[in-house]
Amino acid sequence: MKISVKINGKTVERDVDPRMLLVHFLRDELGLTGTKVGCDTSQCGSCTVHLNGEALKSCTFFAVQADGAEITTIEGLAANGSLHPMQEGFWEKHGLQCGYCTPGMIMASVAFLKKHAHPTEEDIRHGLEGNLCRCTGYHNIVAAVKAASEKMGG
Amino acid sequence: MSLIGKSVIRTDAVGKVTGKTPYPSDVNFEDQLWMKILFSARSHARIVSIDTSEALAYPGVIAVFTAVDVPQNSYGLIMPDQPVLCGPGSDQAGADIVRCYMDNVALVVAETEEIAAAARDLIKVEYEDLPAVYDPYEAMKDGAPQLHLNTPKNILCHYRIRKGDMGSAWQQADVVVEGEFHTAYQEHAFLQPEAGIGYIDDEGRVTVLVAGQWTHEDQEQIAHALSLPLEQVRVIYPAVGGAFGGREDMSVQIVLALAAYKLRRPVKIIWSREESIKYHHKRHPISIKAKWGARKDGKLVAMEAEVVGDAGGYAYTSTKVLGNTNMMVAGPYEIPNAHIDTYAVYTNNIPTGAFRGFGGPQGAFAAEGMMNRLADALGMDPVEVRRVNLLTDDKLAIVGTPMPKGVTIGPVVEKCAEESGYWQRKNDTFERLPVEQPADPAKRRGVGFACAFKNVGFSFGAPENCWGTIEIHGDATIEKVVVRHAAAEVGQGTHTVIMQMAAEAVGVPMEKVELIASDTAFTDNSGSVSASRMTFMAGNAIRGAAEIAVQKWKDEDRPAVGVYQYRPPKTTPYDPKTGRSEPNFAYGYVAQIVEVEVDIETGHVDLIRVISANDVGRAVNPQQVKGQIEGAVVQAQGYAIMENLISMEGRILNPYLSTYLIPTVYDIPKEVKSVILEYADPIGPWGARGMAEMPFLPLAPAIADAIHDATGIWIDRLPLTPDRVVKTLRENGIGVAFS
Repeated sequence: MKISVKINGKTVERDVDPRMLLVHFLRDELGLTGTKVGCDTSQCGSCTVHLNGEALKSCTFFAVQADGAEITTIEGLAANGSLHPMQEGFWEKHGLQCGYCTPGMIMASVAFLKKHAHPTEEDIRHGLEGNLCRCTGYHNIVAAVKAASEKMGG
Repeated sequence: MSLIGKSVIRTDAVGKVTGKTPYPSDVNFEDQLWMKILFSARSHARIVSIDTSEALAYPGVIAVFTAVDVPQNSYGLIMPDQPVLCGPGSDQAGADIVRCYMDNVALVVAETEEIAAAARDLIKVEYEDLPAVYDPYEAMKDGAPQLHLNTPKNILCHYRIRKGDMGSAWQQADVVVEGEFHTAYQEHAFLQPEAGIGYIDDEGRVTVLVAGQWTHEDQEQIAHALSLPLEQVRVIYPAVGGAFGGREDMSVQIVLALAAYKLRRPVKIIWSREESIKYHHKRHPISIKAKWGARKDGKLVAMEAEVVGDAGGYAYTSTKVLGNTNMMVAGPYEIPNAHIDTYAVYTNNIPTGAFRGFGGPQGAFAAEGMMNRLADALGMDPVEVRRVNLLTDDKLAIVGTPMPKGVTIGPVVEKCAEESGYWQRKNDTFERLPVEQPADPAKRRGVGFACAFKNVGFSFGAPENCWGTIEIHGDATIEKVVVRHAAAEVGQGTHTVIMQMAAEAVGVPMEKVELIASDTAFTDNSGSVSASRMTFMAGNAIRGAAEIAVQKWKDEDRPAVGVYQYRPPKTTPYDPKTGRSEPNFAYGYVAQIVEVEVDIETGHVDLIRVISANDVGRAVNPQQVKGQIEGAVVQAQGYAIMENLISMEGRILNPYLSTYLIPTVYDIPKEVKSVILEYADPIGPWGARGMAEMPFLPLAPAIADAIHDATGIWIDRLPLTPDRVVKTLRENGIGVAFS
């Protein structure tokens, strides 16, 4: 099936297998390997991207469902060569170790802040419950999101 | 200003937050092929025949490999007891037998992953079932099925400790406590499932780009299996998505190398999460029967233990893991009389091996469980009963020799109690303060304590060394410093710390340091990132290399190159009869206090607060040290109260993150207070000790102690999941009815 998707600001058209998952479309067809696969069952959130501004686990979504949509991946988050405040937050607050969950965690956090501009620590814990990290114990991730929210004027 | 003790931001952070850093699954070659592995469909069987004809005829299939294709069909980290591929016709006796479900039987290589998967289903394997054994106690009995030719009763190892005079020891005890502790499997659940790509590099070397913990060991095992000289094999680690011991043994390394070697084309594999959970080793479930005795004043007089660990179908690192448990089951205490027997036993279950703590958490669960029971039975404060017994520089460890100098468990325990807010110190005596109880009668709060020690580096006479190279480039002034080091960056931050230490050792700012890492073609052997050893070992290697390079720089040698192999003080194996040994050259010390809330209606245990006091010797990068403490605590929380891997007749029944639950951000304690103590290790670089495992060790026993504090009930079996907790409480008349 032919689809047209705006990805990180650029429109791409491709002929895809109807069964192809969005995450494989991004990784295998477009080479956007910043989006990771961690579990195949939509628990871990490593594959989180934005679909029309909302966080989406791209391993449970067909590429054809994204026809006509706007998608942002981790590669499209930094604008004009400078890091997004959320990326800076994870960088400065040591919100990552192995880094495999990080792109998904950052994309989920950015979408979360859109709806919760002034989050408490409790809010952040609720908001990121769908993303797993096995290294950090999460405390620095929560601190990173808090720092980003403050930087973004929250 | 010194770079040691500075929280330098990770050098790999920008690549990781922008998604640019490649992990093994992100690397592609234009002409790459895809591999799928056919795993065993039996837990114990002889393979009579393998028919690959239909698979080979499937359009798009390039090759199917079986046991006959492996030049030397054996591998294994501590002993080569596992076939690369199980099946008839190979060079190794017994390689036609599958011993567990994770055995590899055939490899399908095809133009796409889908084709490889479809063709794999067309392979016909004829099995002749063999009697299987799944319980290590059963496996040790006469007449049990024997898995390996040279291992009667399936006993892979048996360690003994015989100390003092057990004949009279128990008579000196005023109080004796006994317990039976059972720990459970744990799955590493690193976020990046196994993946890699094998290819022939520009210089004709069989090359594997993969995630692992020891490039040079992978290289050796690949060379062994392929019967190639070492220099014709190359191993490269790009970014590694977590490890925790789960990548210490091989997964896809040899099969990728084999396929690339045979086909002379790049071959890629990515395991699914299901494959990852089913087909790499687990933390050992260990059963420990223990008996400890003390005098009225709390002084320990004797302990005995029988320790049985399920090794699964192959050795992996079981002899080393159980070696650690054999010692750690006695805790960091002076005990004059001891009798310990420890066994690692082959069964037809999934193999078990390295996982953060390496036998220490299991030992600590029993040792600390016993100490907390003794405190309870003696009516003594748990901190005070430790203070009477903790090891010092002058006391003999359970193995009959002194510990390496710098034993700090005493001050660590005291600092933990002081910083916790749950104890107060009065006239040099620690007293527990009462904990406030919630209004809800179904909720009960309790506080628990435990402490532990963890070796740094390889133990018991294992060869231990680490290479480092420093090159100082420039003419009149230093333009750059290149460090070559093989250490695997698995997320712990070792590359950042290595660059910090190199800059400090040469005396240049971090910006001048470049790192060439984790590639056997450009670095010398570092040993594995395991046993909390890399900061300690790499730091000493870098200091040695820097000293040579700086001298050469002064002598106007350009570039000034220093190559150095650090070798720590030697260790010795257990004496087979008495267990006497000099087991380790360095340790880290840790104590933890936890507060939990137990819901006696549902059995849920909510971990509210954790205070972890850790002697790290010197925190080279305090932010990273804190990250290791928080990460270890939450991973141990999963181990203690959430993670429940279910194995039935050797088959894992919940191989998904939807059914094997690990902590989410919503499960973690409200607070993890990291108390970082810096009592220098006498031989550690800048005083540093290893630290990334030890915060894991005391948590489970501290939680069990807190549950007892809240409810009066000891639960000695992990995990402390709601079903187990509620059942145990109800058996003891708690939580049945409320007035």
